[in-house]
Amino acid sequence: MSWLNENVLWLIPAAPLLACLWIVVAGQFIRREKAHQPVVLGLIIAWLCALYLLFSVVPSTFEHAGEHAAEAHDDHAADSHAAVGGAVKYFIYDWFHVGDGGVQPTSMSDDLARADAGGISARVELRADAMSALMLVMVTTVSLLVAIFASGYMQGDPGYPRFFGALSLFVFSMCMLVLASNFLLLFVFWEAVGLCSYLLIGFWFHKPSAAAAAKKAFVVNRIGDFGLILGIFLLWTTFGTLEFDRILADPSLIRQVVLTQPEIFTTICLLLFIGAVGKSAQFPLHVWLPDAMEGPTPVSALIHAATMVTAGVYLVARCAPLFMHSPFALQIVAGVGAATALIAAITALTQNDLKRVLAYSTVSQLGYMFMSLGAAGADPEHLMQPAVTYAMFHMFTHAFFKAVLFLSAGSVMHAMGDVIDMRRFSGLRTALPITWITFLAGALALAGVPLLSGFWSKDEILAVLHMAAQSETHGTYYTVILCIALLTALMTAFYTFRAYFLTFHGPEVFPPEAGHHPHDAPPAMAIPLYILGAAALLIGLATGPTHLYGHYLHHTPNMPAAPAHGPDWLMMMMSTILALGGIAGAYLVYGSHRGAAGVKDNASPLVKFSLNGLYLDELYLALVVKPLRSLAEVSEIFDRMIIDKIVDGVALIPGVVGSILRPIQNGLVQHYAFVMLLGLAAGMVWMLQSLTGSN
Amino acid sequence: MNDLVISDAVQQLNRAVGLIVPDVIVLATVCLMFFAAPFLVSERGEAPAGLRHRWGWLSLLSLLVAGYVWWGTSPQPVTTGPFRLDELTWFIRGVSLAFGAVLVLLTWNQADDARSAETQACLLSIIAGVNLVAAANDLVGIFIALELISVPTYLFLLLPRRDAPAQEATMKYFLLSIFSSGMLLFGMSYLYGSVGSTNLEAIYAALTAGRAHPMPILLVVAVMMMVAGLAFRLTAVPFHFYAPDVFQGAPNAAAAMLSFVPKVAGFVALYRVLAVPVEALDHWSLAQFSEPLLWWLAVLSMFVGNLLALLQTDIRRMLAFSSVSHAGYMLVGFVVGTATTGGPTGFEALLFYLVVYGAMTLGAFAVLGVLQRPDRRMESIEDLSGLSRNQPAIALLLTLFLFSLTGLPPTAGFLGKLNLFLAAWGTGSESGHWLAIWLAVNATIGAWYYLRVIGTMYLQPAPMAVTATDSNATPSYLAMGLCAIATLGLFAVPGWLWALIQHV
Repeated sequence: MSWLNENVLWLIPAAPLLACLWIVVAGQFIRREKAHQPVVLGLIIAWLCALYLLFSVVPSTFEHAGEHAAEAHDDHAADSHAAVGGAVKYFIYDWFHVGDGGVQPTSMSDDLARADAGGISARVELRADAMSALMLVMVTTVSLLVAIFASGYMQGDPGYPRFFGALSLFVFSMCMLVLASNFLLLFVFWEAVGLCSYLLIGFWFHKPSAAAAAKKAFVVNRIGDFGLILGIFLLWTTFGTLEFDRILADPSLIRQVVLTQPEIFTTICLLLFIGAVGKSAQFPLHVWLPDAMEGPTPVSALIHAATMVTAGVYLVARCAPLFMHSPFALQIVAGVGAATALIAAITALTQNDLKRVLAYSTVSQLGYMFMSLGAAGADPEHLMQPAVTYAMFHMFTHAFFKAVLFLSAGSVMHAMGDVIDMRRFSGLRTALPITWITFLAGALALAGVPLLSGFWSKDEILAVLHMAAQSETHGTYYTVILCIALLTALMTAFYTFRAYFLTFHGPEVFPPEAGHHPHDAPPAMAIPLYILGAAALLIGLATGPTHLYGHYLHHTPNMPAAPAHGPDWLMMMMSTILALGGIAGAYLVYGSHRGAAGVKDNASPLVKFSLNGLYLDELYLALVVKPLRSLAEVSEIFDRMIIDKIVDGVALIPGVVGSILRPIQNGLVQHYAFVMLLGLAAGMVWMLQSLTGSN
Repeated sequence: MNDLVISDAVQQLNRAVGLIVPDVIVLATVCLMFFAAPFLVSERGEAPAGLRHRWGWLSLLSLLVAGYVWWGTSPQPVTTGPFRLDELTWFIRGVSLAFGAVLVLLTWNQADDARSAETQACLLSIIAGVNLVAAANDLVGIFIALELISVPTYLFLLLPRRDAPAQEATMKYFLLSIFSSGMLLFGMSYLYGSVGSTNLEAIYAALTAGRAHPMPILLVVAVMMMVAGLAFRLTAVPFHFYAPDVFQGAPNAAAAMLSFVPKVAGFVALYRVLAVPVEALDHWSLAQFSEPLLWWLAVLSMFVGNLLALLQTDIRRMLAFSSVSHAGYMLVGFVVGTATTGGPTGFEALLFYLVVYGAMTLGAFAVLGVLQRPDRRMESIEDLSGLSRNQPAIALLLTLFLFSLTGLPPTAGFLGKLNLFLAAWGTGSESGHWLAIWLAVNATIGAWYYLRVIGTMYLQPAPMAVTATDSNATPSYLAMGLCAIATLGLFAVPGWLWALIQHV
């Protein structure tokens, strides 16, 4: 057991990595149709390790770190004050460190000494605390279920091993991202998950739309990554190190920077947030996520709903000790989150493609999480902890119910012969009972029906926004954001059940691609659906009102402490009313529709506005892409006419110099000796002259 | 009484030999090979087929045993004896034994069965020579060790292939090498004249005490002559002229050896005679004189090497000029020395680069060694056209080595150049900054011709099938693989080598 205690950290990423390597080396040649087996095995190992980490290894750091927590354990209000936890670390190796005069990289103080000496170090070290452990369990659980689902869903695809190779590479990268102990490592795997996302969106690369979507995701993400890397550079120049434990664990250091360079500090926070905006598909960079649905549906469920896109939320939550000193940055976070949630919800109202509804819903829910994080901007001292807790909690529940929704949508696609347009099928309730029941579970949870997962987490986000709205300084701002959040909650319930009623209710209509008797999910797909469906219903109830999740998360070191809050009954009531109202509205409009024909091709401008995602893609095309393209054309002319000429001129230099030097290099040994002698003589004269000159 | 003196002398001898056991093992193997080889070859120069494999194995075995012994030794405090075993000696010995094994693999099939014994024996004595340069504690010892490298090199250049180009190359190398040895010896005699001893420790002590103070001109002459003599080994401009001609004409393994081994020996010897580790701020230390001189040598070598490499069409000539420019990069580290605050010191960066350079340049030569055209030896860069289609794996490996020579990630060459740059920039002085800038500029120029080769391999059509030599290329492939592992491995996990270097 002690062996496991020490090595569980590297086992989590290593297991999927080994599975990936197996597929690269051998799995693509032999047992191709069984390529899922090593991946599932690796993910089971990773999952078990993550559970062990969550329940045994990380809690072992709690006791000795928080003696005074024991006496206050019963006192509910004081609990969050006293909750202290440590981090578990596993040092792999020092990739690069120079200029420390032989200091071995073993402890933090050496790192500090090295930073002070102007040395550079890049440590590859795994680090897990309460927050990482919760993330890891979420990531590995959903990945495992999605991989099992995909073993049925992807059956018969020519790229079957490739799919599982990329999937396990993704899980490896995601685990490493969460386990990174410094910003540099985090950035490396931030890019790695982006690469996996690119590979998987473009999985069917022969389809032009998939290739274009992959490219779009990649390019849009570059904008965010550019911000992130600038932020990391700035962190490096400001703090002299990139270790989490150095930057985030030292409030006095942060305060010193805040006092001396406040504008630099806010810039760092905003740049890090730009990275999060790109990865988590927030406005204005959210346009890539709906297109990313071109990838196989299990990928959409795993990467573009449950895990990778939440990396941005994780980044901001991880950097909470930084953000809490910059209320302005937090207000920006809240504003961007609110704008995203609203825009995406409006767009989701009219989408005809089931997966796109879910994609916009994901964007909207991620906006919710950022709203929650940003809520702390009203009063960082007191609100940071609930803000982070509820954002992370919503991420946690969202992962389960959004995964089940996507996988059910995948099951629909599977049965309908890859048709996903809701105008072309309806009434699938009887034909696909498993899919129907699991989709319903996910939809109820997403809509926020009381006692289900989405209800608890969404309700708490509303509660923290409500608290922020009561602040004296920024109350108005946060009141507006709270209203947007409530409006979004209503729309969420509406569009979710619109999709539900259109797909599963009404007369039974199948598209011709589906054949005569569409099959419901086979066991490999059904079991993950059931599990995730049950989780969507229950996991919020199990961890929300009992505060299991929150209390565990509070053990994250460096998390600002705050008094706990009781349930906000007003918000709970309002969100219940809104959820039920949204569902009722959807039922009234779409509940009794007459099949595929029931959806009118309503051409009112508002509907079109929503259907086209507020024309944001077109707006970007007109405002960004086209001017850039014209600029590129101008640049090309400039390049041809001027730069090329300069380069041509420079290219002549070596030729000219060479032609001067080449005659000496003529192959005659006596010439060589003569030139050597000349060099010697010249050096001698010069040195003697400088000697006499200095005397 | 007499017995006591004798036993004392024996003890001293024992102690001295104890410091060079690995080198003794290698040299013993050399003697054995020279002695035994004639008995296995008939009067008409015919040898049983496959004899060269046995010599190859014997050489590897000898290096392995020497390496095993080396691993067991540890640095000893330096005395005034004839040899020393300090951290630098230990490190250089490890480097030369390791790369010696790679060179044995490259030489494996270069000479025919009848001459392979002598060829491998020459190589082994060259390796032993490098070790002894590092181990010598005396000017005379250094000189003799350097000659132990030079003299077998003349044979090594000629033995495998005795055609006209090889003869010409050998002749040029022979004449110029002797010339440079003369300069070195001349410089050493002046140093001896001014401080009155040939023992390194005694020289350091004399310089620290300022005993050479009244005769700065003698020291200037000594420094200049010794630098000129050693710069020939480093292929630093303007003492580099032999390199392109010799690389072009010599057998592949000999060119590979010349690109790396003399540099190791040259830098170690330069360090021993010039970078006098004088703790006191003595105005008359030799480093003081040599620094501006070496600054110019570094800049000239970088520029001349890179600019002339741009014009080459023969790949080996190009690599020769590239070797000149890399000597310049490494000289940057030498000039910076320990005058760095913060980042890596110049010597650390130099030693790191030396290892990295060995891996990448030997790897590149290993690739060239296995390629041949149907009609003749593979020579020009054009011959590599379309290699990516004929020999994708080999093209990929050559690309890796060229990337590393350029200094691009993910190869060790990137870290090597980065270290040198940081060291030069870290001096904080104007001359150090300029060195760093010229280094960066030259790295860019270098990218031009390295990437051109890669472009030729991947983008040009394949008019004539360049093939890998069909027979017996296994040792070369092995060498290639080792170099590739080192090139990638030192990028991914440079820490262990860095830790070793920091003990030096």
